[in-house]
Formats: sequence, C-alpha cells, structure tokens
Amino acid sequence: MGEEGSGDTVHLLCLAASSGVPLFCRSSRGGAPTRQQLPFSVIGSLNGVHMFGQNLDVQLNSARTEDTTVVLIVGLEELTNIRNVERLKKELRASYRLIDSFLGDSELIGDLTQCVDCVIPPEGSLLQETLSGFAEATGTAFVSLLVSGRVVAATEGWWRLGMPEAVLLPWLVGSLPPQAARDYPVYLPHGSPTVPHRLLTLTLLPSLELCLLCGPRPSLSQLNPQLLERWWLPLLDPLRGCLALGPRALPDGFPLHADILGLLLLHLELKRCVFTVEPLRDKEPSPEQRRRLLRNFYTLVATTHFPSDPGPTEKTEDGVRPAQMPRACYLVLGPGTGWQLVALQLGLRLLLLLLSPQSPTHGLRSLATHTLHSLTPLL
Amino acid sequence: MASPTLHDSRGGPDKLHGEPSSQEDEDSDSEDRTGDSGSCTSASSNDDDLEPEWLDSVQRNGELFYLELSEGEEESLLPETPTVNHVRFSENEIIIEEDDYKERKKHEPKLKRFTRILKSKKLLPKRYHKKSSNNDGPVSILKHQLNPKIGVTVHQRYKDVTVYVNPKNLTVTKAREQLKLLEVLVGIIHQTKWSWRRSGKQSDGERLVVHGLLPGGSAMKSGQVLIGDVLVAVNDVDVTSENIERVLSCIPGPMQVKLTFENAYAMKKETAQPKKKKKQSNANDLVKLLCGEAAEDIQQSVLVTPHIIMYLNLQLDSDSSKEEEILYHYPMSEASQKLKSVRGIFLTLCDMLENVTGTQVTSSSLLLKGKQIHVAYWKESDKLLLIGLPAEEVPLPQLRNMIEDVAQTLKFMYGSLDSAFCQVENVPRLDHFFSLFFQRALHPARQHLSASPSAQQYSAASSVLLDSLPGARWLTLPQEIKVELDTMLSDLEAADFAELSEDYYNIRRLYTILGSSLFYKGYLICSHLPKDDLIEIAVYCRHYCLLPLAAKQRIGQLIIWREVFPRHHLHPSTESDTDAFQEPEGRYFLLIVGLRHYVLCVLLEAGGCTSKATGNPGPDCVYVDQFRATLHRLEAVQSRIDERLASSTGPWLSCADWFLAGPRDKTDGLTTSPIISRLHGTSKAKTPPTCRRAIFSDYSFKTRKPSPSRGSGESEPGCEGEGIGLSPHTTPDAIPRQRESSGSEDSGTWLKASKKKSTLPNPFHLGNLKKELSEKELEIYNTMKLTSGPENTLFHYVALETVQGIFITPTHEEVAQLGGSVHSQLIKNFHQCCLSIRAFFQQTLVEEKKKALPGRDHADSSTPASSLSAVKEHGVLFECSPENWTDPKKSPPVLTYWVVGRLFLHPKPQELYVCFHDSVTEIAIEMAFKLFFGLTL
Repeated sequence: MGEEGSGDTVHLLCLAASSGVPLFCRSSRGGAPTRQQLPFSVIGSLNGVHMFGQNLDVQLNSARTEDTTVVLIVGLEELTNIRNVERLKKELRASYRLIDSFLGDSELIGDLTQCVDCVIPPEGSLLQETLSGFAEATGTAFVSLLVSGRVVAATEGWWRLGMPEAVLLPWLVGSLPPQAARDYPVYLPHGSPTVPHRLLTLTLLPSLELCLLCGPRPSLSQLNPQLLERWWLPLLDPLRGCLALGPRALPDGFPLHADILGLLLLHLELKRCVFTVEPLRDKEPSPEQRRRLLRNFYTLVATTHFPSDPGPTEKTEDGVRPAQMPRACYLVLGPGTGWQLVALQLGLRLLLLLLSPQSPTHGLRSLATHTLHSLTPLL
Repeated sequence: MASPTLHDSRGGPDKLHGEPSSQEDEDSDSEDRTGDSGSCTSASSNDDDLEPEWLDSVQRNGELFYLELSEGEEESLLPETPTVNHVRFSENEIIIEEDDYKERKKHEPKLKRFTRILKSKKLLPKRYHKKSSNNDGPVSILKHQLNPKIGVTVHQRYKDVTVYVNPKNLTVTKAREQLKLLEVLVGIIHQTKWSWRRSGKQSDGERLVVHGLLPGGSAMKSGQVLIGDVLVAVNDVDVTSENIERVLSCIPGPMQVKLTFENAYAMKKETAQPKKKKKQSNANDLVKLLCGEAAEDIQQSVLVTPHIIMYLNLQLDSDSSKEEEILYHYPMSEASQKLKSVRGIFLTLCDMLENVTGTQVTSSSLLLKGKQIHVAYWKESDKLLLIGLPAEEVPLPQLRNMIEDVAQTLKFMYGSLDSAFCQVENVPRLDHFFSLFFQRALHPARQHLSASPSAQQYSAASSVLLDSLPGARWLTLPQEIKVELDTMLSDLEAADFAELSEDYYNIRRLYTILGSSLFYKGYLICSHLPKDDLIEIAVYCRHYCLLPLAAKQRIGQLIIWREVFPRHHLHPSTESDTDAFQEPEGRYFLLIVGLRHYVLCVLLEAGGCTSKATGNPGPDCVYVDQFRATLHRLEAVQSRIDERLASSTGPWLSCADWFLAGPRDKTDGLTTSPIISRLHGTSKAKTPPTCRRAIFSDYSFKTRKPSPSRGSGESEPGCEGEGIGLSPHTTPDAIPRQRESSGSEDSGTWLKASKKKSTLPNPFHLGNLKKELSEKELEIYNTMKLTSGPENTLFHYVALETVQGIFITPTHEEVAQLGGSVHSQLIKNFHQCCLSIRAFFQQTLVEEKKKALPGRDHADSSTPASSLSAVKEHGVLFECSPENWTDPKKSPPVLTYWVVGRLFLHPKPQELYVCFHDSVTEIAIEMAFKLFFGLTL
C-alpha cells in the first residue's frame, strides 16, 4: 500500500504486494476527491521497488523530497487470503467513502490521534443516564450517541471497544450519506476481524444519530419509533442543544481565552479527544487552515517531542529511564503570520492550542495550563 | 650558592636533556621557569638551515598532508631512526611511516636511548656514559623545561636533581626544630598531617610529596623541583617519610646531593592508571585514523553497522555490464554490501519521484534487518551521491546536514563531485576521507579527546548540532588580544617582508594571500577570510579532525597544502553587476600550518596579480616558514588566551544541578510554578518548599545567603535526601578534580562562582532578593548575565551568526567548571533538541529563499500558511530528575527547563538556541540582542 502527497494532492494506492495488481487508487486534491490518478508506470515502479527490496530483505518505509512530499510504503499484512482479486476490488468499493474521508479534509482528527473525537454536551449526565437505560432496554452493551461523527455519549461497553474500531465506527457513520436508519455489517479490526457485527444507526435529529453495535439481535424493526419516543422524546431539548456542538465541541459559553483560535485536547489513557477550531470564527486563519495547522502541530508534537509510549521510541542506551521528559513546547510561526502553537502535557492529558499573534509568547504556557485546568473536569 | 657547582659537575648533560623536553600544558605553573632559554634556541635554529622534513612527503600533485606529533619529537633527534608518525600520501596509497619505536621503548631502558641521543650529538661526557650504563635506577632527566621553539612533550617518570647541601647552616636554625632536616637542608616542605592520601599509600612510611618549597632553599634554587613531585631517593638511597630524616642527618658536610624525584605528572598518571590507558589508546585512535590506519577494534565495531556512501551514475546504458553505474562506494563490509545491492531502489526512487512530484528526492528510510536506515540523496547533474546511516546513530536532520557538508567539502577539495569520484588516483584518498567521515558519524566521542572526560562528553554531545552549523566556533577575546592577533595576521597577509616581498628576489610573488584564519585549541580566534571561505575551510578542518587534534597539545608540526576550489571565488553569484569586482581566473591553494594549539589556515591565490601557477606546485618553503614564524610569535599571546579560556567572560552560566528543586508533588509543582504565579500576580500564593543543592555544598552553602524558604522545616529533610541521592552518581573523580582546581590555580574563578551562587537563592522569592542586592551588585550582575530576573538561570546557549560564519557557545572549560551529572544530561538533550528545532529553521530559510526569488511567486503561498514550514521560534519545556534515583520513598527532585530556538531573518539571519530554567520568563529576542551585541570578527 502506498500513500503519497504532493502539494495538496494526495494519492492512496493499494496494491496486492504479491502480484502487483492495484486494488484501488484514490486521490484527492485540496481535500476533495479527484479522478486524477497516478500514471501506471509510477504504480509499477512503486511496486517494483517494494518487490525488489523484499527479495533482498530490505523494506522501504518512506522517502522525502524537497517540498515535504512524503511517500510512505507500508507493507500491509495481506488482506487475509486474496482468492479473487476482482471480487475483492468490488468489495472494497463499499469502503471508498470511508477511505476518501480519510484523504479529504475532515473536521475530525481521530484518524491522526487514534483517539475518539468527542464533544462535551451541556447536560452530559442526563444523556448518559438515558443512554444506559436505552441500552438495557434493547439488550445491547454497545450504544452511543453521535453528532456528525463525534461521540456525545456512549455506554461503558462502547468505550471499551478496541482502538481502531472505536475511532473508525463514528468516522464511518459520519462519512455515510444521511439516512433515517441503517443496518450495516462491519468487521471490527481489533475485536472481531473475521466475524461481522451489525451496526445499527437511528437518526434522532438531523446529524444526530444513535448507534448500536450488536449481533443478530435486536433486529432493526424491534427498535420501533415508540421505543425511541419513550426514551428520547423527554430529552428533545438537550438533544437539540447537541446539534450545534458538532464543530464547536465545547458547550456554549464555556470560558475560553480570547486568544485561542483552535484547541485539541487529548486524554491519552481514555483515548478520547476534543477538537475544535470554532472560537473566533471570523478571524484569520480559516477553519481549514487552523485544522491543518493543528494537525501538523500534533504530528510534530507526537513524533518528535512527546512520543506516546516512552518505551520503544525513547532511546534508553544508558539503561536508565529517560531523565529528560518533555512537558510542553511551543512554536511561533512567521514571518508574516505570527500564529502560535503550544502543547502542554499534564499527567494523561495533552492540550494543543492555536493562538493568535497578539498573545505574548512568554505567557503561552500559563495560558495553556489554565485552559487545561478548566477543561480537566470535562474530559 | 649552589649553582656554580651544579653546572660544573652534572649541569651539562642535564641541560641537554632538558632541551628537547618541553612543558606539559597542564603544568605551566611557571614555577620551574629558569633561564634555560638560551641554550634552547640552538636546536630550532638548526632546523631552519636543514631541508624541511616534510619536503619528502609532498606528493606529485603538489599536495601535502604532513602531521608530526609532538610526543615523538624527542626521538626525531635520532637521525637514524625516524620515529614520528608521518602521514603522507603517495601516488596510489597512503603510506604510514610509523616505526616500531613504541616497541623499542618497552624493551630498551630509557637511559640507553638518551645516551644514544647524546652520543649522536657528540655531547655526552664519558663519565656520564659510564655511570649510566651500569645504573638501572631511575633515569636521570630534567623535566619541565619549557622550550618555546619545539613542541615536544616528554613525560619522564623520574628526574634527578642535584642540590648543594650544607649541614653547617643548621646551626643557625637548630634551636627551632630538630626534625625537619628536609625543610632546612633541602628546602622541601612535606607535611605529614595533611598529606594527599590519594596520591599513594605505602605501608612503610609515607611517600615524600613535595608540598611546598622553602624560599631561598636549594630545592627552589635548582628550579627543578615541583610541588607535587615525590622524593624517592637521596643519593640512590630510597627514602620515605620514615627514614628521610635519618638519611639526611648522615650528610657530613657541604656537598652535592642527588635527589631523585618522581614526577608530579607521571605520578598523577599512575594513580589514574586505567583511565589514562584508555585515553591514550583513544588518542592513538585519532592519530591512527588520521593516518588512515584505523585500529582493528574500531574497524570491527564500525563494520557491523550498516553504512554506505555511493556515487552512482544515473545515465545508464541498458547493455552495460553489472555494477557499472557505481562510480565509487565505501566501505566494502558485509553490512554495507546489502545497502549496495539495493541501490536499484534508490535509483528508481530518485528518477520516479522527480517525475511525479517535480522536486528532487532528499532522503528515504528503510528497514534492514530490523534496523532503520536513513539514506540521504544528493543529486548533481546526472550523478547521485548517497549516504546511508542507521537512524539510531544519526537522526535524519543531521544526516541531511552531513551529506551537504560532504558534498561541499569534496567540491572544495576537488572542484566538483565528478572530479572527486571519477579519477582513479583519488580512490585511496576518498577511502580515507570516508573512513574518517563514518568514524565521526558513528563514534563521535572518539575524536574528541579533551583533557577531561566531562569535556569529552560535552564535545561528543554537542557535535550533533555544532558539526552541522555553517560556521566556525568563535572565541571572544579581550579587545587588546584581538587587536594584537589582527595585527599579526595582517602583517602576515601583507606578505611584504623579507623573502615574501617582491623586492627580495625581484620576481613576481607566487601567491596572493587572500586571507587567513587562526584557530586556537579548536576555537576560531581571528579570521580575515570571507564568510564562505571561512566556512569551507572550517568544514575541511572539522572533517580531518584538525581542530580536536589541536585542542590537545599534540601537534608538533602540521602542514597541509592542497589546491582548493572555493565556491565563493570560482562560482561568484551571477547577479553581480559588471562593475563589481571580477574574480581573477586564478587558482587557489590552502595552506594549513599547525603548531601546538594553533592552526593557521591561509587561502592563497595564484594568478591574478601574482604569477600563474603551473602544474602542481607544492608548498613553498618561504610561505610555510613565514607562517610558522607567525605561529611562534603568537606563543606570546597564548597565556592570555588560556587565561580567557579559563576565566569565562561569556554570558554567565548556571549548573542545572544547583537548581534541582526538592521533592514535591508533580502536578502541584506545575500548577504553582513560578511562571504562572508571577503572571497572575499571585506571587504571595503558597510557594512549594524548595531547596537547591550544589554539588559542592561545602563551598556554596557557606557563602549563600539564607533564602527565605530554607527557613521552613520541610525543606531541610528534602535537602539531605538529595544529598544522599546525588552523591553516588556524581562522577567519582569529578569532585576531587573540581576541588583541586578550585583549591589551587583556579581559586579565582571558583570564588566568583560561589559568589555568584550566593546571589542565587530561591527563584520564588524575587521580591526579597531585589531588596538585598545593592545597586552596584546588580550592575555587575547584568554585565555578564543573559537571562532576565534577579538570578542567573541560563544553562547553555548556542548562537549562530551567519553573516560572518561564526557561532559562539560555552567553551569546554566553562562547561567543565560547572560540572554536574544532571547538567551534562541536560547538555546532551539540549543539543539533540536543537537539532530538530534547527531542522524547522532550515525549512523556513528555504521557504524564504524561494519567496525571495523574483520569478517564482506561484500560488504556493497557501501551503506555508497551514504547514509548519515557516517557524521563527520553537521552544520545548523539559522536566528532568537525577538519574539513578535510588530512594524509593521520595520522588526524585525535579528540574524544569526550556530549550528555545529562535530564528532571526532580519536584518541578517541569525540563530539562537538557549537553555534556561523555567522559573523566569525569557524573551528570546532580548537574549539574542545581548548575545550578538558586539560579536564581530
């Protein structure tokens, strides 16, 4: 499988490593899918490079050119046994939307952080109670309430889902076209890679969906409107309140410092994150730019300064625990823009902020500390 | 009164012994300076009349790489056995003339060798010869004669000193004491009570260490007895503290007495036997490396790590036989074969990615036997230079800097990569070049042989960053020294004296001196070269490890001569208008002359206004001699530069270990960290109990003013806990060495340091402190302090000045003075962090350059806005605690510090990297202003 970005064009190419047959190739330019494809010769060369290296026990991981173009060649373990390439290709078509949403400019960040995108509802406990009661009534352990791909509330069971699927399921729901209800077969890469489960979704309000992950029961017809009304009609107002939460993630009136243009809060153990670029919408930079800035900053922070698990990435040549632990870092962009980015890790929480140029650089850390403390009860 | 007799009997031979020997650098206490200089000049003046010894080493193409180590020079007096390590390159191979003198040294008694030396000089009196031949006792040799002309170092273990003793004088002083014959007769003070325990213990009596010399005593008059020497025998009778008085009392009347001493230096070496051995082998490693003959074990350890350099031809004929595209590759090891065999990948990637993305591939990463290897690419016309190194040894940003350096150096040396790689006769030279290169990359510690292990550690840690900085390491010197150096270099560059002037031979000059730069102990101290030339020369020197070599006193004579191709002169920027100075179509030569700690690099131009160079001219004796003469003249300044090195005048630094806060709750510490409390005006909020502990508590605690928080009962146990926790992991020899230095010659600086620390109390009580400091104190304080706030919180810094091509960073001496185990960890981390910060800045600079290009304002402007490719400041906050924290009950003390990098684009590109304690908010611009102010070549 190869991935490559050039400027703002991204190509995702999936090849059967053994035969070199392209399984699919998706491209996107500026965040939108395009039909532009890699030339066949390039595909052939990429495969050739991989094959050649494999024969010699060398695995090529990545290559870089001057303008940060990245070529990633990841030897993916073969998608089980490929019996019929053509059939596989057809089957893969079903996941194109999901794949494209990864390539495109998503409002979510879970693909990068491997943390579930969440929003903080104003009346969280009420929603949580209702959700638990509803789960009990339907006999499913895995229930969640999603607003445009972000988790508003979820049952204990849902939170216990393993890592790829916990991020992928909300993402999938968010990427599907709006429907009143769905019954969707899914494989869980971690929990159940071979046996499919059913993903039931019920739209309570536009873009607000109730998701159930279950086995053969209950059937979709069992979840009749009466049941839904009984449980959810009393909560109509809080649910309406959730609708606006989509991109904003934080409840209305949450006190954020006026310099904050974007925010990403991660809980490293619970694997949940809150991501928003909504504050001061009308100011420069645009939400897309803010998202990209924060995504890039997260990549930097996670790869160079705050390696997620200190074990393998940290050099322990001296045989002692790493004595120098990074706690915070900041970046001042420039010249011209002057936007500032700051990251702060406290315990299990990691906070990344995008700040306007007028914020004093030496005060970045205190601002981040305060923001993190005010956010701590929420996540 | 003793002197005449001394000269009569033994003085002659002794003096001659003294001649070749020289002063060891550490012992330059000048106590033993006596008027010997008169006789010294003879040897060196003889030198000038002889044909220069390097003349034979000049290759046919004119190049010369001649290195003579000072250690071997005593032997070079023996004409029949050339003993120095000569490195010379002949046509197709490197010939190392390293004789077996070391072998011989083992078997042959030292004395014999010396008699041979003397015989060869026809200076040995018969009497002496006879006596010595049947004497297996300690070798008689004078030690520590500074010979200003010859850089020789002789470490003899024993020395004989003949003094005149008159017991009759005793009657005068008899009344006072009866036992101290040693003091009264000989003038040597030995104090049993506080004898240096560590200098050696013997069961039967103590060793007689010279603790002091009595003014006017015969020992002092002889000028040959040093404090620290050990008296081992009197007239060949072994003595200890037990029997010395008895032995001395046997002296019947006025006579000459032979005292045999064990050298202070030799003894130190002995006590530190294992370390010294290691260091010496290391030292030899470097030399062997330079000689192109790496020691077996180095070779082995390097060979197992996969690494490769390849120069590939991209223009391939399909029918060409295999491996024809490889124009050069190194090394031949098995691990590297693998990388060689997958060159197809690199070729394909290079070709394909350029087609797809329109830009050139710069690097790729691959997994080889579970090890990640980075491969950097350097494409030039239709050739591709590849360097592959393991990721864990060399981070990617460093590798990319390295390949650029390699390409730059090779172009500087050969004009172009093609001419470097495509000529068969260059192959052995390139092999040598790259063996050095990989040694440097894979074992950075090997080539940094500083005096102390801490300095060595510092060099190794800092090389990650400093080796890739485009500049030379600058040492700021006091104005008067600078003027002196400038004058000397200007005089030299004027080339208008004696044989260099055109009038002398009435012919055109051979070369114009374009400029010169002078390095001392690896620091650039004076440069009259344009920035580009300076950088290229500095990179060349760095590559051939000349600067670490010069950092120790190891150069007896270094002469490097080669044609070079400075980019600045040969490829001037095309934009320059026609009115601008046109570079003459000349040829350029680099002459490097090294002597002791000095390395003088001179760029010469032939053609232009001087006569054109034809063929491959070798180094011209006249020029070499002039440069050497300049270096000799410079020795007058040496002591003052050393003074500067010893007493740091740069920004004042603090040691991280002083700042280790007491144990406290981690989160609590962060939330109530002073930075915040200050910002929010809640400075009165509860301050966590902290105490700072200096490693040398006995020094600092006495002088430190009691800081308010230390009054609280809680902090005391914390302090003690730290003391216990810290002591086992301070380097065992660090404390004694520090003490020693502070006790004796360095007391001045140490006093300053402790005084400094006295004004270094709790950072959390800023208000109180300000009141305590008087105006004047503050004033003094600010002159050397970089950080704001009342106390100095600066740990380390690197400042790069790109206009002049220099950077400044604390000297080895400054860092060594600070010591501290946590501090050295911090320094290592600082440099690694700066490397990644600098990678951002480099990208920013590339973007800026793109923007500056006129015809290229394409619609890419959206990319920098959202990518992080335009960064001007980047800071990382680290938290650290002492390693090996053994106390399970207490959490280790925590120190938080910032590493901040700042890029300045206007008015001229400058980079600043600082590391400071977290207690005070710092504004990088202000620090930069203070640092860069007055920093001029």
